[in-house]
Amino acid sequence: MNRRKAALALIPVAVLGVAASAAARPGPPSDVEISASEQPVEVIGLPCLHGDSLEVAMTNTGADDVYADMELSVQSPLRLDRRVFSSWLPARDPDTTVSTDVTIHAPRDAEPGSYDVQLSTDRSRLTVPVEVLPLPPKGPGDDLALGERATASTTHGNFVPCGAVDGNTDDADWNTATGWNDGTRGAFPDSYRVTLAEPTSISRVELHTLDSQRFPATGYGLRDWDLQVLTDGAWTTVDQVRGNVNGHVTSTFATVTAEAVRVVSHDSNDHSYSRIVELEVYAD
Amino acid sequence: MTDERSATDPTDLARTAASRRRFLAVTGAAAGLALTGDLPGNSAAWGARQDALKHDPFTLGVASGDPLSDAVVIWTRLAPEPLEPFGGLGPRPVMVQWQVAEDERFSRIVRRGTMRARREASYSVHVDVTGLRPWRHYYYRFRVGRHVSPVGRTRTAPAAGAAVAGLSFAFASCQAWWEGFYTAYRDLARHDHDVVFHLGDYIYEMGVGADSGVRQQPVPAEFTRETVTLDDYRGRYALYRTDPDLQDAHASAPWIVTMDDHEVENNWAGPISENNAPEDEFLIRRANAFRAYWEHMPLRMTQSPTGPDLQLYRRFQYGDLVRFNVLDTRQYRDDQAAGDGQDPPNPGSLDPGRTITGDEQERWLLDGMAERSARWEVLAHQTAIAQLDTREGPDVVVPMDTWDGYVASRRRIVGGARDAGVRNLVSVAGDLHRSVASELKADYADEAAAPVGTEFVGTSISSGRDGTDHDQGGLTILAENPHVKFHNFQRGYVRCEVTPQQWVADYRVADKVTEPDGTVTTRSRLAVEDGDPTINRA
Repeated sequence: MNRRKAALALIPVAVLGVAASAAARPGPPSDVEISASEQPVEVIGLPCLHGDSLEVAMTNTGADDVYADMELSVQSPLRLDRRVFSSWLPARDPDTTVSTDVTIHAPRDAEPGSYDVQLSTDRSRLTVPVEVLPLPPKGPGDDLALGERATASTTHGNFVPCGAVDGNTDDADWNTATGWNDGTRGAFPDSYRVTLAEPTSISRVELHTLDSQRFPATGYGLRDWDLQVLTDGAWTTVDQVRGNVNGHVTSTFATVTAEAVRVVSHDSNDHSYSRIVELEVYAD
Repeated sequence: MTDERSATDPTDLARTAASRRRFLAVTGAAAGLALTGDLPGNSAAWGARQDALKHDPFTLGVASGDPLSDAVVIWTRLAPEPLEPFGGLGPRPVMVQWQVAEDERFSRIVRRGTMRARREASYSVHVDVTGLRPWRHYYYRFRVGRHVSPVGRTRTAPAAGAAVAGLSFAFASCQAWWEGFYTAYRDLARHDHDVVFHLGDYIYEMGVGADSGVRQQPVPAEFTRETVTLDDYRGRYALYRTDPDLQDAHASAPWIVTMDDHEVENNWAGPISENNAPEDEFLIRRANAFRAYWEHMPLRMTQSPTGPDLQLYRRFQYGDLVRFNVLDTRQYRDDQAAGDGQDPPNPGSLDPGRTITGDEQERWLLDGMAERSARWEVLAHQTAIAQLDTREGPDVVVPMDTWDGYVASRRRIVGGARDAGVRNLVSVAGDLHRSVASELKADYADEAAAPVGTEFVGTSISSGRDGTDHDQGGLTILAENPHVKFHNFQRGYVRCEVTPQQWVADYRVADKVTEPDGTVTTRSRLAVEDGDPTINRA
């Protein structure tokens, strides 16, 4: 055990009780019951904003330890990041419940409404309703980058590119992967890109770099970067920021029709990593 | 974690076909003909029972392991679609036929049978083939319907007490799939070994990255997350096992395996997880990890785990020449001292009550060494026993995860071997991602004490990417530890040639692993003479 090491972002196998109960099929009683997290589960059809995770669980109600498999499926066009959930389930008193999180991916064009996730073991079956919510409005005054596809030159193992378009600008949440951190210490440039849903007129970008009480922007924030937009397949620099010490920087520029926006980072105030908590893009 | 780009898919596909040809070449030019002669579906040779599968289920290769003088385990796992849950099979069992022959043409078949591959074991097959003759090569293969597996070559151990003139074996460890190609295994498979040891970190629990690091092979989302559930671990073994060089290495000789930390989680210790998860929760994860490990390794059915318990420490006797004591220094160890970093010796690391083996395994080991059953008494295990001071200058700073964090275990076991009159004590280990050859002492605080044994730590197969001849850490280890006689920081494995008079360790290293087709050469040949644990250049 290493107490100094940061926790990896992993899906815990939690031992807990959860809501909802299994509806057993006709037949002999099963020793493994299925359950799922509180419903409805709400998801959004954006590449970087999935909405709720579904927590699924198996409970051994029998007298013997078992290795159990749950199969998972969902109505098209939704997709699950786990099609099987298998685990050792010890027989204990009280009964042991083992659970895991499942991410539900909805494509942008998924019709809002209710969909079914089917969970089954050899003897039990459970249907979990999933609600696909309408897409957030992307009109004038809305953040056009919210939940859109984010990619980066590199990403540190404890972070995901989606973190900087997840709508969370709170620096205090930095350790929960709510931002993007590049993966190459001391090497620049780094780049972080958000691809808009469609070519859109934009004239303002709000960049939030790391600026918490513990990690102030003067010590850890982004220092030098170019802001670029992709128009007809070519990148144009619309703003250059140098020597920045602030947590929140607004770039305004003449309105352009952009397919994507990217930040090309040349240095940070600790000269080690590029860190973006949130990148917002606006029409005006 | 890794970002460099090198390989492409077509390259990998091309290598799969090439590797099968290569293996057949290793075992003799006629092997390909023998298979052709039996196909399609010579039911007289195989027996009538057949299950039809549309696609080749032998995508994960074959393996053999845990050789005894009269038995060996042969293994495969059916997976027509190796990266799909349950290899794309299910839910019904599949009948698998197997054959063991004395010759690679399968004209002298000595054992054959049928085994049911079941979903609850991921369609893996572990056949304990018994009634074999000692110290013999055998060839084995499997069949489902019209699909015949690649041919594996294996070898039984010599009879107990037999006079053995020489033994050739290899040992390897630490094979992060996304950090390097398995070039070292390609080299290993080209050599003739009586047995191969894997000393841990066969998989890593961390995700392989969306682009698989240096391999640049897109993988489904399942492979980018940390393994926790049983399906996660099963998938990760399948992914690693799709590598053709690893498959060739398994098919070339029987393997004897033990695990280190990453088969479960970084630096776990007994019931304690890296980040102090509740024990109940961690033991479920450990049970999942152990189950998938057993399913994918050539271990006996009788060694399948019982939940979070897996009996891995065991012995292998090679006549009067070598006894291998395969250890498990993870499952029964006390938690690492002083927060599990690099520290000066401290009350925890020096505590005589702490253990890296657990009491029962320690007693088993010491009792066995007292039998003095072979000329070379070998500890085949996870991490360095020798002290490794990693701090330049007069201060001593040592890793808390190696035996340096369990000084009392080192004293009891190395000292125990000396007190038992063990003729030659040799430790082979991995974990460090560097090659380190050391002279073993029971107590490194006593500078005048004579060495009692020899330790050969092998570097990683791929973990840590290309490396270099000496990094700063290695130079410091050489400078600070007079008992360390050799160091290298490249990737590779170790071959050993053992005779009654001498032990020669051949450190094979690759010039690069971040690109395919690196070159493997001998970096150093080190020798130990019978009765003298000091290390010499061979």
